[in-house]
Amino acid sequence: MSYFLKLGFVLLVITVIASGILAYVNSLTEPIILENQRKAKAEARLEVLPEAATFDSIGTFNAENVFAGKDADGNLVGYVFLASLYGYSSDVKSMVGVNKDLIVNKIKVISQTETPGLGANCIKPEFQAQFSDKGLGEMKVNKDGGPIISITGATITTRTITNSIKNGLLELEKLIPAEAETSEEVTK
Amino acid sequence: MIKEFTKGFIKENPVFVMALGLCPTLAVSSSVMNAIGMGLAATFVLVCSNIMISLIKNFVPNKIHIPAYIVVIASFVTIVDMVMEAYVPALHKSLGLFIPLIVVNCIILGRAEAFAGKNNVFKSMLDGLGMGLGFTLALSVIATIREILGAGQFLGMQVLPTSYKPMLVAILAPGAFIVMGLLMGAMKLKKKK
Repeated sequence: MSYFLKLGFVLLVITVIASGILAYVNSLTEPIILENQRKAKAEARLEVLPEAATFDSIGTFNAENVFAGKDADGNLVGYVFLASLYGYSSDVKSMVGVNKDLIVNKIKVISQTETPGLGANCIKPEFQAQFSDKGLGEMKVNKDGGPIISITGATITTRTITNSIKNGLLELEKLIPAEAETSEEVTK
Repeated sequence: MIKEFTKGFIKENPVFVMALGLCPTLAVSSSVMNAIGMGLAATFVLVCSNIMISLIKNFVPNKIHIPAYIVVIASFVTIVDMVMEAYVPALHKSLGLFIPLIVVNCIILGRAEAFAGKNNVFKSMLDGLGMGLGFTLALSVIATIREILGAGQFLGMQVLPTSYKPMLVAILAPGAFIVMGLLMGAMKLKKKK
C-alpha cells in the first residue's frame, strides 16, 4: 500500500514542479505574445487601408471587430474586416480593406498553414493583388466563371479566400446601414 | 566520451539509421528554414530532458518512469512552444502543430529510455546534443533536396534559374517519402561496402 502511495507522491512532486515552472514561463511570455498579435493585426489593418488614421469598431464578424477607418479629419474612408474560412488544411485568415463603396482596396493573408508550395503561395503579393479594386459580384474564382485566377494546384485555397471575403462583404453590407442610420439620428 | 556525441550524426542517426521521429521529419522537411527550426527546437528539448531525466532517474521508481519522463518532456516542449511564439512568431507559425507534437517524438522518449535513464548527466547531455543535431542534419539534408527540386529555392532564395519548372511532388508528402527512402537506401548501401 505504502509503495503505491509513494508512486503517486513522486508523480505529484514532479507534476507540481513542472506546472510551477510552466506557470512562471507563461507569465513571462504571455504579454509578449498578446502584444505581438495585437501589433500584427494593427499593422495589417493599416496596410490594407493606408488612408485611414483611426479605426473604430462598428460590429463583429468572425468574432473579430469590424472597423470603420477614418482619415485625420474624421471622414469615413473605408472599412476593415478579418475574413476567415477553413481552406485545404488550415484556417485561412486575411485582413481585408474596402473603400466606402465596398470595393476591395487591398487584402493581406495574415495566417495560414496551407500546403507549402501550393496553397501557401496565397501569401504572395501577386496573388493578393488581384483582389484589389473588385466588388462583391466579382468575388469568384476563374473555375466558377469569375475573375480571380486560382493558384496552380490550389483551387481550394483560392476559393476559400474568395468566399471568405465574399461572406465578409455581405456581412459588412448588413452592418453599415445600421451605422449610417444611427449616426443620422445623432445629427438630428 | 566524444563518441556519445558523434554517434548521432551518422552511425546511429535517429532518422536514417534508427528510423525514429519520421512523422515530423516527413512533415516539416518541405523547406530548409522549417527543418532547421524544428531540428533546433527538438535538440533543445532533447538536451534538457536528457539532463533532467538523468538527474531524477534515481528518485523515480521503475513503475512510473514513463509518465514521469513524459511530464518532464512535455514541460520542456511547452516552454519551447511559448518562448518561440513570443520571440520568433513567424517560425512558430510555420511549424504550427509540430512544436507541441515534439512531446510524442519518439526520438526524445527513446533517448530518455535507452540512454538518459541509464547514464550520468554529462554523457546524457552529450547524447542529447548529438542525437538532436543528427536529427537536425537529417531534416536539413532532406529539406535541401526537397526545397531545391520542388521550389528551386534554398532558404527562400532562388538558386535555380526561374525558367526551371518546380517539381511540385518534391515538396508534397510523396516527395518526402521518396527523398527519405532514397537517402536511407544510400546510407545502407554505404554501410554494406
